[in-house]
Amino acid sequence: MLEYGSKRILIVDDFTDFRSSLKSMLRDMGARDVDTADRGEEALSMCRNKRYDIILHDYNLGGGKNGQQVLEELIAGKLISHQCIFVMVTAESSQAMVLSALEHEPDAYLTKPFNRASLDQRLDKLVERKTALKGILQGLDKQDPAAVLEACKTLSQQDKRYLPLCQRYQATALRELGRLDELEQLLNGVLAERPLPWAQVALAGLMHKRGELSRAQSLYEKGLQLFPMMPALYDGLAAVLLAQGESQRAQQALEDAVKLAPLAIRRQMQLGKLALDNQDFDSAGKAYRQAMEQGRTSKFKSPENYLGLAQAITAQAGDGSLDKRLQIEVSQALGELDKIYAHDPNVQVRSRLALASSLNKSGEPKRAAQLAADAAAAMEKLPQLFAADTALSVASQLRALGQTAASDALLKSCVEVYGDDPQVMQGVARQTDNAEILSSGKEAVELNRQGVRCYQQKQFDEALRLFRQAFALQPKNISIALNTAQSLLQSASGEASAALLEECRRCLAVVSQMPETDARHARYLQLQRRASGQ
Amino acid sequence: MSDSPGGLDFSTVIASTVHDMKNSLAMLTRAHAQWQSQLPPEQQQASEQGVIEYEFARLNGMLVQLLGLYKLGVNQLPMRPGYHEVEDFLQAQLARHFEVLQSRQISARCEVESFDLMGFFDEELLGSVVANIITNSIRYAHSALLIRAWEEGGKLVLAICDDGQGYPQEMLSQQSNYVLGLKHSTGSTGLGLYFAGRIAELHERHGVHGHIELANGAPLGGGVFRIYLP
Repeated sequence: MLEYGSKRILIVDDFTDFRSSLKSMLRDMGARDVDTADRGEEALSMCRNKRYDIILHDYNLGGGKNGQQVLEELIAGKLISHQCIFVMVTAESSQAMVLSALEHEPDAYLTKPFNRASLDQRLDKLVERKTALKGILQGLDKQDPAAVLEACKTLSQQDKRYLPLCQRYQATALRELGRLDELEQLLNGVLAERPLPWAQVALAGLMHKRGELSRAQSLYEKGLQLFPMMPALYDGLAAVLLAQGESQRAQQALEDAVKLAPLAIRRQMQLGKLALDNQDFDSAGKAYRQAMEQGRTSKFKSPENYLGLAQAITAQAGDGSLDKRLQIEVSQALGELDKIYAHDPNVQVRSRLALASSLNKSGEPKRAAQLAADAAAAMEKLPQLFAADTALSVASQLRALGQTAASDALLKSCVEVYGDDPQVMQGVARQTDNAEILSSGKEAVELNRQGVRCYQQKQFDEALRLFRQAFALQPKNISIALNTAQSLLQSASGEASAALLEECRRCLAVVSQMPETDARHARYLQLQRRASGQ
Repeated sequence: MSDSPGGLDFSTVIASTVHDMKNSLAMLTRAHAQWQSQLPPEQQQASEQGVIEYEFARLNGMLVQLLGLYKLGVNQLPMRPGYHEVEDFLQAQLARHFEVLQSRQISARCEVESFDLMGFFDEELLGSVVANIITNSIRYAHSALLIRAWEEGGKLVLAICDDGQGYPQEMLSQQSNYVLGLKHSTGSTGLGLYFAGRIAELHERHGVHGHIELANGAPLGGGVFRIYLP
């Protein structure tokens, strides 16, 4: 038996009896510092104030967050070290839970009821393992993938028992370092030995990332033949199918995943969006309802679920009128949304428009018109730009509610900001044939395209000249501004010209309103750091 | 599979009932443990405790097995194989039976070929198989139980051995037909072995499937149950 006197231990269970009997078992084992909690929320706040070495968490607490949600939030919020032992205590077979928890697995599952000997044996083993893995776990805590790789190499040569674990840590580290060829080699090696679920998912994901879609698809399908109950494989398959434009089959794959593991808010949200795009409003409504429900106890809640539900219900009524009961559901969902996101004016505008759209169908056109007018007025002073797809859907709502001028203005700004993206331009063209809007950015986009080509051919001076011209014509376009900024940094790096850096900062200031969900946001932040000399 | 005229699938009825029975048994076990801990020490060691604990474990094992068989039947038994330290796995199985072994004064230990022997299997499925076999061996063992593990011809072998009377001759001679054991109604052995055989078979590598074998004799002189995993 190992020394537990110095360990900080937390028990989370909703049964008083169980907490006290587990606590007395731990005391018999020499533990002195044992705290208890009866809800996941309480456990999270305790972990904010104290670093625990061992957490024994019941999976199903009968309300609030479940064990898996707590574990995910502990990891996402860095509230526990990777060296902390997290044991999931379950009332029955853990298979279904295990299959759903591919991303953040607990260190062990312990099925109730268990005796003192089993607890002893399990904890001793986990302490031994965490001690052996210390170098790797410290690397993870420091977010230093290179150190993780180094530690893996040493440990797996020392003791072959840790090789399978090391390979998994290595795979994650290689992906983070962008060493994808080595990653592929590692995964192929692992899978040649044995079909391991995590490696199957990782290899398929890598193929998807590389754009080898049909290979990725067949890897996911092969994985599903071996492990038909693994939601992560369906998730991956859905993403690949969607990338290939097969949105119906993608939806089916996500529906399969949701059947296996309904408690996954992000999956439900994705399903809702996909079903909405597929005009399957019934399924969309179901998925968004689930996501909204689960979001109440989760850090992964999102305004999209409330807005999506309202949109699905309203769209389901078609050209007919909206049922009273459904109108109440929409109003309640949006009311809740307004309360949670009271500080977010972008959400407020979208909420008002969603409510107006539904009221328009339930015999209250006057209130609808008033709300639409309010929203149109509020739009003029929003602090942040809408993401492209949001902007398009808001513009279409405004148009349907008679706010044509506001809709046109939004489309115009959409072209200014996102005009280099052909998909966005197609979306705009579906809503208007106004040539003034549609052709406004063409020249700038063409200059930007030429600039990119020159930059790739390392003709930096010519590239900068083209980007500057494009920027002057279309100063709100995110791509053009970022390209100009990068090009200026490239030129400034030589003799560190202060004027060029100043110009670069002006370019970046223009795009500071870009939505944080934009894929280019990380690039923006990076350029900003470089421009300010950090 | 539908055995009743109302279109009610009987195996589904059984499965959901078994599920409730398992929960009910878990409540019973917990209430009993609590009650027992409140007894004066001399009564805590009463021989009936051993019987109760053993039968709780046996009932639970049978219910787990029944659910497993149902899932096998409807093809919903999820396989999730992974690499595991064999010694750790076996120690955990023995720890689950600690009280019963102690009260029956059976000395149990495990011998693993090398401390770093690794196995590739579904921990939970194989765990329920090994637990059932241990429960069964405890019933027949006089005083000793031994679990051995080694590698043989590219396969991992686990052997659960006791010093009891061994398996009846007709079971040894007709190993391929475990269900036969059911007809002779020698306890739950037949079904347990059938379950074990099916779980072993689910483990596959390059077209080679796992299997089980029964024998009597060495090392302890009683029954020997072996499971081979590719």
